[in-house]
Amino acid sequence: MQLLWSGVFLVPGVGLIAVFVVVPILLTAWISLHQWSMYTPLTQMQFVGLANYQEVLSDPTFQQALLNTFIYSGVSIVLTVPLAVFFGIFLYRPAIRGRTALRMVLFSTYMVPTVAVAIVWGYLYSPLYGPFNEILSFLGLPSQPWLGSTSEAMVSLIILNLWQTLGYYTVLVLAGLTQIPQDYYDASAIDGAGLLGQTRYVTLPLLRRTLTFVVIIAGINTLQVFDPVYVLTQGGPVNSTNVLTYDIYQTAFQFGRAGAASAMAVLLLIVLAIVVPALLHVARED
Amino acid sequence: MHRRKRSATREFVATQRRARFSRLTLVVGQYILLTVASFVALFPLLWMVASSLKTPAELQVLPPVWLPAHPNLDAFGTVFSVIPYGQAFLNSFVIAAGDTVAIVLTSIMAGFVFAKYQFRGRDLLFYAVLATMFVPTIVTLVPLFHVIQAMDLVDSYPGVMLPQLANAFGIFLMRQFIRGVPDELLDAARVDGASEWTVLWRIISPLLVPAVATLVLFAFVYQWNSFLWPLTILQSQDKFTVVLAMSRLLSYTSSIQFQNVVMAGAVISILPNTILFLFLQRFFIAGLAQTGIKG
Repeated sequence: MQLLWSGVFLVPGVGLIAVFVVVPILLTAWISLHQWSMYTPLTQMQFVGLANYQEVLSDPTFQQALLNTFIYSGVSIVLTVPLAVFFGIFLYRPAIRGRTALRMVLFSTYMVPTVAVAIVWGYLYSPLYGPFNEILSFLGLPSQPWLGSTSEAMVSLIILNLWQTLGYYTVLVLAGLTQIPQDYYDASAIDGAGLLGQTRYVTLPLLRRTLTFVVIIAGINTLQVFDPVYVLTQGGPVNSTNVLTYDIYQTAFQFGRAGAASAMAVLLLIVLAIVVPALLHVARED
Repeated sequence: MHRRKRSATREFVATQRRARFSRLTLVVGQYILLTVASFVALFPLLWMVASSLKTPAELQVLPPVWLPAHPNLDAFGTVFSVIPYGQAFLNSFVIAAGDTVAIVLTSIMAGFVFAKYQFRGRDLLFYAVLATMFVPTIVTLVPLFHVIQAMDLVDSYPGVMLPQLANAFGIFLMRQFIRGVPDELLDAARVDGASEWTVLWRIISPLLVPAVATLVLFAFVYQWNSFLWPLTILQSQDKFTVVLAMSRLLSYTSSIQFQNVVMAGAVISILPNTILFLFLQRFFIAGLAQTGIKG
Protein backbone atom coordinates (compact mmCIF):
# COMPACT_ATOMS: atom_id res chain seq x y z
CA MET A 1 0.00 0.00 0.00
CA GLN A 2 2.73 2.43 1.04
CA LEU A 3 4.68 1.46 -2.04
CA LEU A 4 1.74 2.43 -4.23
CA TRP A 5 1.44 5.81 -2.54
CA SER A 6 5.22 6.28 -2.80
CA GLY A 7 4.83 5.88 -6.54
CA VAL A 8 1.92 8.30 -6.76
CA PHE A 9 3.72 10.99 -4.76
CA LEU A 10 7.17 10.50 -6.29
CA VAL A 11 6.36 10.30 -9.98
CA PRO A 12 5.53 13.98 -10.63
CA GLY A 13 8.60 15.42 -8.90
CA VAL A 14 11.22 12.74 -9.40
CA GLY A 15 9.84 11.80 -12.82
CA LEU A 16 10.16 15.37 -14.10
CA ILE A 17 13.70 15.61 -12.75
CA ALA A 18 14.58 12.31 -14.40
CA VAL A 19 13.19 13.37 -17.78
CA PHE A 20 14.44 16.96 -17.79
CA VAL A 21 17.74 16.70 -15.93
CA VAL A 22 19.07 13.14 -15.80
CA VAL A 23 18.19 12.07 -19.35
CA PRO A 24 19.58 15.32 -20.86
CA ILE A 25 22.86 14.78 -18.98
CA LEU A 26 23.17 11.36 -20.58
CA LEU A 27 22.25 12.85 -23.96
CA THR A 28 24.92 15.54 -23.54
CA ALA A 29 27.49 12.83 -22.84
CA TRP A 30 26.26 10.91 -25.92
CA ILE A 31 26.34 13.98 -28.18
CA SER A 32 29.85 14.81 -26.96
CA LEU A 33 31.09 11.66 -28.70
CA HIS A 34 29.69 12.77 -32.04
CA GLN A 35 30.22 15.34 -34.67
CA TRP A 36 26.89 17.04 -35.14
CA SER A 37 25.66 20.44 -36.26
CA MET A 38 22.74 21.88 -34.29
CA TYR A 39 20.98 22.66 -37.57
CA THR A 40 20.93 19.17 -39.06
CA PRO A 41 18.68 16.26 -38.02
CA LEU A 42 19.81 13.72 -35.44
CA THR A 43 20.42 11.13 -38.16
CA GLN A 44 23.35 13.22 -39.44
CA MET A 45 25.23 12.61 -36.22
CA GLN A 46 28.64 10.99 -36.75
CA PHE A 47 30.45 9.02 -34.08
CA VAL A 48 33.94 10.42 -33.55
CA GLY A 49 34.91 8.96 -30.16
CA LEU A 50 36.85 11.37 -28.00
CA ALA A 51 37.85 13.64 -30.87
CA ASN A 52 35.69 16.51 -29.56
CA TYR A 53 37.48 16.36 -26.20
CA GLN A 54 40.85 16.40 -27.90
CA GLU A 55 39.86 19.33 -30.04
CA VAL A 56 38.30 21.30 -27.20
CA LEU A 57 41.15 20.75 -24.76
CA SER A 58 43.73 21.95 -27.27
CA ASP A 59 41.64 24.98 -28.23
CA PRO A 60 43.25 28.14 -26.77
CA THR A 61 39.85 29.90 -26.54
CA PHE A 62 38.47 27.10 -24.39
CA GLN A 63 41.62 27.00 -22.25
CA GLN A 64 41.27 30.73 -21.71
CA ALA A 65 37.56 30.32 -20.83
CA LEU A 66 38.40 27.57 -18.35
CA LEU A 67 41.09 29.70 -16.72
CA ASN A 68 38.81 32.78 -16.63
CA THR A 69 36.04 30.76 -15.01
CA PHE A 70 38.37 29.44 -12.30
CA ILE A 71 39.68 32.94 -11.62
CA TYR A 72 36.18 34.40 -11.46
CA SER A 73 34.98 31.62 -9.19
CA GLY A 74 38.06 31.43 -6.96
CA VAL A 75 38.42 35.16 -6.38
CA SER A 76 34.68 35.53 -5.78
CA ILE A 77 34.69 32.79 -3.12
CA VAL A 78 37.82 34.06 -1.40
CA LEU A 79 36.27 37.54 -1.13
CA THR A 80 32.65 36.58 -0.43
CA VAL A 81 32.91 33.93 2.26
CA PRO A 82 34.96 35.87 4.86
CA LEU A 83 32.83 38.98 4.27
CA ALA A 84 29.64 36.96 4.66
CA VAL A 85 30.92 35.52 7.97
CA PHE A 86 31.91 38.99 9.14
CA PHE A 87 28.52 40.55 8.33
CA GLY A 88 26.69 37.46 9.58
CA ILE A 89 28.32 37.68 13.01
CA PHE A 90 27.87 41.45 13.03
CA LEU A 91 24.16 41.26 12.21
CA TYR A 92 23.53 38.34 14.57
CA ARG A 93 24.54 40.34 17.64
CA PRO A 94 21.37 41.72 19.16
CA ALA A 95 22.87 44.94 20.53
CA ILE A 96 22.60 46.95 17.34
CA ARG A 97 19.59 48.88 16.19
CA GLY A 98 18.87 48.91 12.49
CA ARG A 99 20.29 45.46 11.82
CA THR A 100 16.94 44.10 10.62
CA ALA A 101 16.93 46.94 8.12
CA LEU A 102 20.48 46.16 6.98
CA ARG A 103 19.62 42.49 6.73
CA MET A 104 16.82 43.36 4.32
CA VAL A 105 18.96 45.84 2.41
CA LEU A 106 21.71 43.24 2.00
CA PHE A 107 19.30 40.62 0.83
CA SER A 108 17.47 42.97 -1.53
CA THR A 109 20.38 42.96 -3.99
CA TYR A 110 19.83 39.25 -4.47
CA MET A 111 16.21 39.80 -5.54
CA VAL A 112 17.23 41.97 -8.49
CA PRO A 113 17.49 40.03 -11.77
CA THR A 114 21.17 39.63 -12.65
CA VAL A 115 20.43 41.06 -16.08
CA ALA A 116 19.09 44.25 -14.44
CA VAL A 117 22.13 44.35 -12.13
CA ALA A 118 24.40 44.00 -15.14
CA ILE A 119 22.62 46.80 -17.01
CA VAL A 120 22.83 49.16 -14.01
CA TRP A 121 26.48 48.34 -13.41
CA GLY A 122 27.22 48.79 -17.08
CA TYR A 123 26.22 52.43 -16.63
CA LEU A 124 28.03 52.70 -13.27
CA TYR A 125 31.23 51.53 -14.98
CA SER A 126 30.71 53.76 -18.01
CA PRO A 127 34.03 55.57 -18.69
CA LEU A 128 32.54 58.92 -19.61
CA TYR A 129 29.22 59.37 -17.77
CA GLY A 130 29.75 56.72 -15.11
CA PRO A 131 29.50 57.61 -11.41
CA PHE A 132 32.43 55.36 -10.46
CA ASN A 133 34.92 57.38 -12.47
CA GLU A 134 33.22 60.51 -11.21
CA ILE A 135 33.86 59.39 -7.62
CA LEU A 136 37.47 58.49 -8.47
CA SER A 137 38.13 61.90 -9.96
CA PHE A 138 36.51 63.55 -6.92
CA LEU A 139 39.02 61.65 -4.79
CA GLY A 140 41.80 62.79 -7.10
CA LEU A 141 42.34 59.32 -8.56
CA PRO A 142 42.75 58.55 -12.27
CA SER A 143 39.75 57.31 -14.29
CA GLN A 144 39.62 53.59 -15.00
CA PRO A 145 38.56 51.86 -18.21
CA TRP A 146 36.68 49.17 -16.16
CA LEU A 147 34.86 46.84 -18.55
CA GLY A 148 36.70 48.29 -21.52
CA SER A 149 40.14 46.90 -20.76
CA THR A 150 41.50 43.37 -20.77
CA SER A 151 43.08 43.86 -17.37
CA GLU A 152 40.05 45.26 -15.54
CA ALA A 153 37.01 43.67 -17.17
CA MET A 154 37.19 40.48 -15.11
CA VAL A 155 37.75 42.37 -11.86
CA SER A 156 34.74 44.55 -12.71
CA LEU A 157 32.55 41.47 -13.15
CA ILE A 158 33.79 40.03 -9.84
CA ILE A 159 32.94 43.26 -7.98
CA LEU A 160 29.46 43.19 -9.52
CA ASN A 161 29.01 39.59 -8.36
CA LEU A 162 30.30 40.38 -4.88
CA TRP A 163 27.83 43.23 -4.56
CA GLN A 164 24.92 41.13 -5.73
CA THR A 165 25.49 37.92 -3.79
CA LEU A 166 27.07 38.98 -0.50
CA GLY A 167 23.69 39.61 1.13
CA TYR A 168 22.42 36.17 0.18
CA TYR A 169 25.45 34.41 1.65
CA THR A 170 25.24 36.59 4.76
CA VAL A 171 21.66 35.39 5.23
CA LEU A 172 22.85 31.78 4.90
CA VAL A 173 25.50 32.43 7.57
CA LEU A 174 22.83 34.03 9.78
CA ALA A 175 20.66 30.94 9.41
CA GLY A 176 23.63 28.84 10.52
CA LEU A 177 24.32 31.11 13.49
CA THR A 178 20.76 30.75 14.81
CA GLN A 179 21.49 27.01 15.16
CA ILE A 180 24.35 27.50 17.62
CA PRO A 181 23.00 27.09 21.18
CA GLN A 182 23.35 30.22 23.34
CA ASP A 183 24.81 28.01 26.15
CA TYR A 184 28.06 27.71 24.22
CA TYR A 185 28.47 31.47 24.22
CA ASP A 186 27.53 31.73 27.89
CA ALA A 187 30.02 29.02 28.83
CA SER A 188 32.82 30.65 26.83
CA ALA A 189 31.95 34.04 28.37
CA ILE A 190 32.37 32.55 31.85
CA ASP A 191 35.74 31.24 30.73
CA GLY A 192 36.60 34.82 29.88
CA ALA A 193 36.39 34.70 26.09
CA GLY A 194 35.75 38.03 24.39
CA LEU A 195 34.11 38.56 21.03
CA LEU A 196 37.23 37.52 19.16
CA GLY A 197 37.76 34.44 21.32
CA GLN A 198 34.16 33.41 20.94
CA THR A 199 34.35 33.83 17.19
CA ARG A 200 37.54 31.81 17.01
CA TYR A 201 36.62 28.97 19.38
CA VAL A 202 32.83 28.77 19.27
CA THR A 203 31.34 30.37 16.17
CA LEU A 204 33.73 29.32 13.42
CA PRO A 205 34.08 25.63 14.39
CA LEU A 206 30.32 25.25 14.80
CA LEU A 207 29.72 27.11 11.57
CA ARG A 208 31.81 24.71 9.55
CA ARG A 209 28.95 22.89 7.84
CA THR A 210 27.25 26.16 6.97
CA LEU A 211 30.48 27.50 5.53
CA THR A 212 31.04 24.39 3.42
CA PHE A 213 27.51 24.77 2.14
CA VAL A 214 28.12 28.44 1.33
CA VAL A 215 31.37 27.61 -0.49
CA ILE A 216 29.60 24.92 -2.54
CA ILE A 217 26.67 27.16 -3.47
CA ALA A 218 29.02 30.04 -4.31
CA GLY A 219 31.19 27.67 -6.33
CA ILE A 220 28.28 26.27 -8.34
CA ASN A 221 26.85 29.73 -8.96
CA THR A 222 30.11 31.33 -10.03
CA LEU A 223 31.28 28.39 -12.17
CA GLN A 224 28.18 28.85 -14.32
CA VAL A 225 28.24 32.65 -14.58
CA PHE A 226 26.57 33.78 -17.80
CA ASP A 227 24.17 36.73 -17.52
CA PRO A 228 26.60 39.62 -16.84
CA VAL A 229 29.02 38.31 -19.48
CA TYR A 230 26.26 38.07 -22.09
CA VAL A 231 24.89 41.52 -21.27
CA LEU A 232 28.09 43.48 -20.65
CA THR A 233 31.17 42.05 -22.34
CA GLN A 234 30.23 39.18 -24.69
CA GLY A 235 33.41 37.53 -23.44
CA GLY A 236 35.60 40.47 -24.42
CA PRO A 237 37.66 42.46 -24.64
CA VAL A 238 39.87 39.89 -26.42
CA ASN A 239 38.42 36.90 -24.58
CA SER A 240 39.41 38.32 -21.19
CA THR A 241 35.93 37.61 -19.75
CA ASN A 242 35.04 34.60 -21.86
CA VAL A 243 33.77 32.04 -19.34
CA LEU A 244 32.75 28.40 -19.71
CA THR A 245 28.98 28.81 -19.89
CA TYR A 246 29.27 31.66 -22.36
CA ASP A 247 31.75 29.74 -24.49
CA ILE A 248 29.52 26.63 -24.51
CA TYR A 249 26.45 28.70 -25.36
CA GLN A 250 28.25 30.41 -28.25
CA THR A 251 29.74 27.17 -29.55
CA ALA A 252 26.31 25.50 -29.62
CA PHE A 253 23.85 28.23 -30.47
CA GLN A 254 26.03 30.64 -32.46
CA PHE A 255 28.29 28.23 -34.32
CA GLY A 256 26.04 25.15 -34.15
CA ARG A 257 28.85 22.84 -33.01
CA ALA A 258 26.77 20.66 -30.70
CA GLY A 259 29.43 17.96 -30.31
CA ALA A 260 32.19 20.31 -29.18
CA ALA A 261 29.79 22.25 -26.93
CA SER A 262 28.65 19.02 -25.29
CA ALA A 263 32.23 17.91 -24.68
CA MET A 264 32.84 21.24 -22.91
CA ALA A 265 29.66 20.76 -20.86
CA VAL A 266 30.75 17.29 -19.80
CA LEU A 267 34.14 18.67 -18.75
CA LEU A 268 32.37 21.26 -16.58
CA LEU A 269 30.27 18.52 -15.03
CA ILE A 270 33.40 16.47 -14.31
CA VAL A 271 35.00 19.43 -12.54
CA LEU A 272 31.88 19.76 -10.36
CA ALA A 273 31.70 16.02 -9.75
CA ILE A 274 35.21 16.16 -8.30
CA VAL A 275 35.02 19.44 -6.38
CA VAL A 276 31.58 19.13 -4.72
CA PRO A 277 31.99 15.65 -3.13
CA ALA A 278 35.52 16.61 -2.03
CA LEU A 279 34.14 19.66 -0.21
CA LEU A 280 31.32 17.62 1.34
CA HIS A 281 33.90 15.11 2.53
CA VAL A 282 35.94 17.84 4.18
CA ALA A 283 32.80 19.11 5.91
CA ARG A 284 31.87 15.73 7.33
CA GLU A 285 35.28 15.08 8.86
CA ASP A 286 35.41 16.21 12.44
CA MET B 1 46.12 51.90 54.45
CA HIS B 2 43.61 54.59 53.80
CA ARG B 3 45.56 55.97 50.93
CA ARG B 4 45.96 52.62 49.30
CA LYS B 5 42.24 52.09 49.37
CA ARG B 6 41.64 55.43 47.76
CA SER B 7 44.12 54.76 44.95
CA ALA B 8 42.50 51.39 44.35
CA THR B 9 39.14 53.10 44.04
CA ARG B 10 40.59 55.60 41.66
CA GLU B 11 42.08 52.86 39.58
CA PHE B 12 38.73 51.08 39.54
CA VAL B 13 36.96 54.21 38.34
CA ALA B 14 39.59 54.70 35.66
CA THR B 15 39.22 51.15 34.41
CA GLN B 16 35.47 51.57 34.31
CA ARG B 17 35.83 54.77 32.36
CA ARG B 18 38.23 53.16 29.94
CA ALA B 19 35.87 50.19 29.50
CA ARG B 20 32.98 52.55 28.88
CA PHE B 21 35.08 54.48 26.41
CA SER B 22 36.09 51.36 24.46
CA ARG B 23 32.49 50.15 24.51
CA LEU B 24 31.47 53.54 23.13
CA THR B 25 34.05 53.30 20.33
CA LEU B 26 32.77 49.82 19.55
CA VAL B 27 29.17 51.01 19.31
CA VAL B 28 30.11 54.03 17.19
CA GLY B 29 32.24 51.78 15.00
CA GLN B 30 29.32 49.43 14.55
CA TYR B 31 27.03 52.21 13.44
CA ILE B 32 29.63 53.55 11.03
CA LEU B 33 29.98 50.06 9.57
CA LEU B 34 26.20 49.71 9.39
CA THR B 35 25.90 53.00 7.52
CA VAL B 36 28.75 52.32 5.10
CA ALA B 37 27.49 48.79 4.33
CA SER B 38 23.96 50.05 3.73
CA PHE B 39 25.24 52.79 1.47
CA VAL B 40 27.38 50.43 -0.61
CA ALA B 41 24.49 47.99 -0.92
CA LEU B 42 21.98 50.67 -1.81
CA PHE B 43 24.05 52.99 -4.00
CA PRO B 44 23.56 51.18 -7.32
CA LEU B 45 19.84 50.80 -6.62
CA LEU B 46 19.40 54.45 -5.62
CA TRP B 47 21.37 55.54 -8.64
CA MET B 48 19.14 53.36 -10.84
CA VAL B 49 16.00 55.00 -9.43
CA ALA B 50 17.50 58.49 -9.72
CA SER B 51 18.49 57.89 -13.35
CA SER B 52 15.01 56.64 -14.25
CA LEU B 53 13.63 60.01 -13.09
CA LYS B 54 16.04 62.18 -15.10
CA THR B 55 15.27 63.96 -18.35
CA PRO B 56 17.20 63.08 -21.55
CA ALA B 57 18.89 66.50 -21.34
CA GLU B 58 20.13 65.80 -17.82
CA LEU B 59 21.53 62.44 -18.91
CA GLN B 60 23.74 64.06 -21.55
CA VAL B 61 25.37 66.69 -19.36
CA LEU B 62 29.03 66.42 -18.45
CA PRO B 63 30.02 66.14 -15.67
CA PRO B 64 27.02 63.92 -14.91
CA VAL B 65 24.17 65.11 -12.72
CA TRP B 66 23.66 62.99 -9.59
CA LEU B 67 20.06 63.84 -8.82
CA PRO B 68 17.33 64.91 -11.25
CA ALA B 69 16.39 68.58 -10.84
CA HIS B 70 12.78 67.91 -11.82
CA PRO B 71 12.07 64.21 -11.24
CA ASN B 72 9.56 62.98 -13.80
CA LEU B 73 7.99 59.66 -14.64
CA ASP B 74 8.06 60.02 -18.45
CA ALA B 75 10.50 57.15 -18.85
CA PHE B 76 8.10 54.76 -17.11
CA GLY B 77 5.56 55.44 -19.86
CA THR B 78 8.13 55.34 -22.66
CA VAL B 79 9.42 51.90 -21.72
CA PHE B 80 5.99 50.41 -22.44
CA SER B 81 5.90 51.96 -25.91
CA VAL B 82 9.49 51.16 -27.03
CA ILE B 83 8.97 47.45 -26.46
CA PRO B 84 5.90 45.39 -25.44
CA TYR B 85 6.93 45.59 -21.79
CA GLY B 86 3.40 45.04 -20.49
CA GLN B 87 3.18 41.81 -22.45
CA ALA B 88 6.62 40.79 -21.17
CA PHE B 89 5.45 41.44 -17.62
CA LEU B 90 2.44 39.20 -18.16
CA ASN B 91 4.63 36.49 -19.74
CA SER B 92 7.07 36.53 -16.84
CA PHE B 93 4.25 36.41 -14.35
CA VAL B 94 2.50 33.44 -15.97
CA ILE B 95 5.76 31.52 -16.31
CA ALA B 96 7.14 32.27 -12.83
CA ALA B 97 3.83 31.79 -11.00
CA GLY B 98 2.99 28.60 -12.90
CA ASP B 99 6.41 27.11 -12.25
CA THR B 100 6.24 28.09 -8.58
CA VAL B 101 2.86 26.44 -7.99
CA ALA B 102 4.06 23.26 -9.70
CA ILE B 103 7.34 23.23 -7.76
CA VAL B 104 5.52 23.61 -4.44
CA LEU B 105 3.11 20.73 -5.23
CA THR B 106 5.71 18.31 -6.61
CA SER B 107 8.11 19.14 -3.77
CA ILE B 108 5.55 18.54 -1.00
CA MET B 109 4.60 15.16 -2.46
CA ALA B 110 8.13 13.90 -3.06
CA GLY B 111 9.37 15.42 0.20
CA PHE B 112 6.65 13.52 2.09
CA VAL B 113 7.80 10.18 0.66
CA PHE B 114 11.47 10.85 1.41
CA ALA B 115 10.64 11.97 4.96
CA LYS B 116 8.05 9.44 6.09
CA TYR B 117 7.98 6.30 3.91
CA GLN B 118 10.34 3.35 4.10
CA PHE B 119 11.34 1.35 1.05
CA ARG B 120 14.48 -0.17 -0.28
CA GLY B 121 16.71 2.27 -2.15
CA ARG B 122 14.89 5.31 -0.73
CA ASP B 123 18.00 7.09 0.48
CA LEU B 124 19.92 6.26 -2.66
CA LEU B 125 17.12 7.77 -4.75
CA PHE B 126 17.04 10.80 -2.48
CA TYR B 127 20.76 11.42 -2.88
CA ALA B 128 20.45 10.99 -6.64
CA VAL B 129 17.74 13.66 -6.66
CA LEU B 130 19.87 15.88 -4.43
CA ALA B 131 22.84 15.55 -6.80
CA THR B 132 20.82 17.15 -9.62
CA MET B 133 20.81 20.35 -7.56
CA PHE B 134 24.46 20.80 -8.54
CA VAL B 135 23.98 20.40 -12.29
CA PRO B 136 24.44 23.72 -14.12
CA THR B 137 21.79 24.74 -16.64
CA ILE B 138 24.33 24.82 -19.47
CA VAL B 139 25.12 21.11 -19.10
CA THR B 140 21.64 20.07 -20.24
CA LEU B 141 20.93 23.00 -22.55
CA VAL B 142 21.66 21.48 -25.97
CA PRO B 143 19.65 18.24 -25.55
CA LEU B 144 16.84 20.06 -23.72
CA PHE B 145 16.50 22.47 -26.61
CA HIS B 146 16.15 19.53 -28.99
CA VAL B 147 13.66 17.76 -26.71
CA ILE B 148 11.47 20.87 -26.58
CA GLN B 149 11.90 21.30 -30.33
CA ALA B 150 10.84 17.69 -30.93
CA MET B 151 7.73 18.39 -28.86
CA ASP B 152 7.10 21.43 -31.06
CA LEU B 153 7.12 23.71 -28.01
CA VAL B 154 9.90 26.14 -28.97
CA ASP B 155 8.78 29.76 -28.43
CA SER B 156 5.86 28.86 -26.14
CA TYR B 157 4.93 29.10 -22.44
CA PRO B 158 4.86 25.30 -21.99
CA GLY B 159 8.26 25.02 -23.64
CA VAL B 160 9.84 27.37 -21.09
CA MET B 161 7.94 25.96 -18.13
CA LEU B 162 8.06 22.21 -18.69
CA PRO B 163 11.64 21.52 -17.52
CA GLN B 164 11.14 23.78 -14.45
CA LEU B 165 8.09 22.13 -12.83
CA ALA B 166 10.10 20.24 -10.22
CA ASN B 167 13.46 20.76 -8.59
CA ALA B 168 15.76 19.12 -6.10
CA PHE B 169 16.00 22.11 -3.77
CA GLY B 170 12.23 22.13 -3.23
CA ILE B 171 12.12 18.41 -2.53
CA PHE B 172 15.04 18.74 -0.12
CA LEU B 173 13.44 21.68 1.72
CA MET B 174 10.09 19.91 2.11
CA ARG B 175 11.69 16.67 3.26
CA GLN B 176 13.58 18.53 5.99
CA PHE B 177 10.38 20.16 7.24
CA ILE B 178 8.14 17.09 7.02
CA ARG B 179 10.70 15.06 8.99
CA GLY B 180 9.93 17.36 11.90
CA VAL B 181 6.21 16.46 11.89
CA PRO B 182 5.61 13.83 14.62
CA ASP B 183 4.65 10.36 13.37
CA GLU B 184 1.95 10.08 16.06
CA LEU B 185 0.02 12.83 14.32
CA LEU B 186 -0.03 10.90 11.04
CA ASP B 187 -0.81 7.59 12.71
CA ALA B 188 -3.73 9.11 14.62
CA ALA B 189 -5.22 10.33 11.35
CA ARG B 190 -4.64 6.92 9.73
CA VAL B 191 -6.39 5.17 12.63
CA ASP B 192 -9.33 7.48 12.02
CA GLY B 193 -9.46 6.14 8.47
CA ALA B 194 -7.69 8.96 6.60
CA SER B 195 -6.07 7.97 3.31
CA GLU B 196 -2.45 8.87 2.62
CA TRP B 197 -3.71 11.60 0.29
CA THR B 198 -5.74 13.11 3.13
CA VAL B 199 -2.85 12.73 5.58
CA LEU B 200 -0.58 14.69 3.25
CA TRP B 201 -2.93 17.50 2.24
CA ARG B 202 -5.06 17.85 5.39
CA ILE B 203 -2.70 16.96 8.24
CA ILE B 204 0.85 17.75 7.07
CA SER B 205 0.42 20.58 4.58
CA PRO B 206 -1.15 23.08 7.02
CA LEU B 207 2.01 22.71 9.14
CA LEU B 208 4.28 23.62 6.26
CA VAL B 209 3.45 27.32 5.96
CA PRO B 210 6.98 28.62 6.72
CA ALA B 211 8.51 26.04 4.37
CA VAL B 212 6.09 26.83 1.58
CA ALA B 213 6.67 30.57 2.07
CA THR B 214 10.42 30.04 1.77
CA LEU B 215 10.07 27.84 -1.30
CA VAL B 216 7.61 30.21 -2.98
CA LEU B 217 10.05 33.07 -2.51
CA PHE B 218 13.04 31.12 -3.83
CA ALA B 219 11.21 29.51 -6.73
CA PHE B 220 9.46 32.67 -7.90
CA VAL B 221 12.57 34.84 -7.67
CA TYR B 222 14.63 32.19 -9.45
CA GLN B 223 12.14 31.81 -12.29
CA TRP B 224 11.49 35.55 -12.60
CA ASN B 225 15.22 36.27 -12.84
CA SER B 226 16.05 33.30 -15.04
CA PHE B 227 17.79 34.24 -18.29
CA LEU B 228 19.71 31.46 -20.05
CA TRP B 229 16.83 29.02 -20.56
CA PRO B 230 14.24 31.59 -21.75
CA LEU B 231 16.93 33.10 -24.01
CA THR B 232 17.39 29.68 -25.59
CA ILE B 233 13.75 28.75 -26.02
CA LEU B 234 11.84 32.02 -26.61
CA GLN B 235 12.25 33.72 -29.98
CA SER B 236 9.45 36.14 -30.76
CA GLN B 237 9.23 39.44 -28.96
CA ASP B 238 5.65 38.97 -27.77
CA LYS B 239 6.76 35.84 -25.86
CA PHE B 240 9.74 37.49 -24.13
CA THR B 241 9.99 37.55 -20.35
CA VAL B 242 10.80 40.81 -18.57
CA VAL B 243 14.46 39.87 -18.23
CA LEU B 244 14.75 39.02 -21.93
CA ALA B 245 12.92 42.20 -22.93
CA MET B 246 15.29 44.18 -20.76
CA SER B 247 18.39 42.71 -22.38
CA ARG B 248 16.93 43.70 -25.78
CA LEU B 249 15.94 47.11 -24.46
CA LEU B 250 19.58 47.75 -23.70
CA SER B 251 20.65 47.05 -27.26
CA TYR B 252 17.85 49.18 -28.72
CA THR B 253 18.72 52.15 -26.62
CA SER B 254 22.47 52.12 -26.32
CA SER B 255 22.51 55.89 -26.57
CA ILE B 256 22.98 57.66 -23.24
CA GLN B 257 19.82 59.76 -23.62
CA PHE B 258 17.66 56.64 -23.31
CA GLN B 259 19.29 55.63 -20.05
CA ASN B 260 16.22 56.76 -18.10
CA VAL B 261 14.05 54.39 -20.15
CA VAL B 262 16.34 51.41 -19.54
CA MET B 263 16.57 52.26 -15.83
CA ALA B 264 12.78 52.59 -15.61
CA GLY B 265 12.56 49.10 -17.10
CA ALA B 266 15.01 47.83 -14.50
CA VAL B 267 13.07 49.47 -11.65
CA ILE B 268 9.83 47.85 -12.81
CA SER B 269 11.49 44.44 -13.17
CA ILE B 270 12.37 44.41 -9.46
CA LEU B 271 8.88 45.15 -8.13
CA PRO B 272 7.28 41.67 -8.08
CA ASN B 273 10.22 40.07 -6.24
CA THR B 274 10.35 42.93 -3.77
CA ILE B 275 6.64 42.78 -3.00
CA LEU B 276 6.80 39.02 -2.54
CA PHE B 277 9.83 39.37 -0.28
CA LEU B 278 8.13 41.97 1.93
CA PHE B 279 5.16 39.63 2.36
CA LEU B 280 7.16 36.50 3.06
CA GLN B 281 10.34 37.70 4.74
CA ARG B 282 9.21 36.97 8.31
CA PHE B 283 9.13 33.24 7.49
CA PHE B 284 12.34 33.40 5.69
CA ILE B 285 15.25 33.04 8.11
CA ALA B 286 13.30 30.44 10.11
CA GLY B 287 12.66 28.59 6.87
CA LEU B 288 16.30 28.59 5.89
CA ALA B 289 17.45 27.46 9.32
CA GLN B 290 15.31 24.34 8.92
CA THR B 291 17.09 23.16 5.81
CA GLY B 292 19.78 21.66 7.99
CA ILE B 293 22.37 24.18 6.90
CA LYS B 294 23.26 24.30 10.55
CA GLY B 295 26.60 24.68 12.28
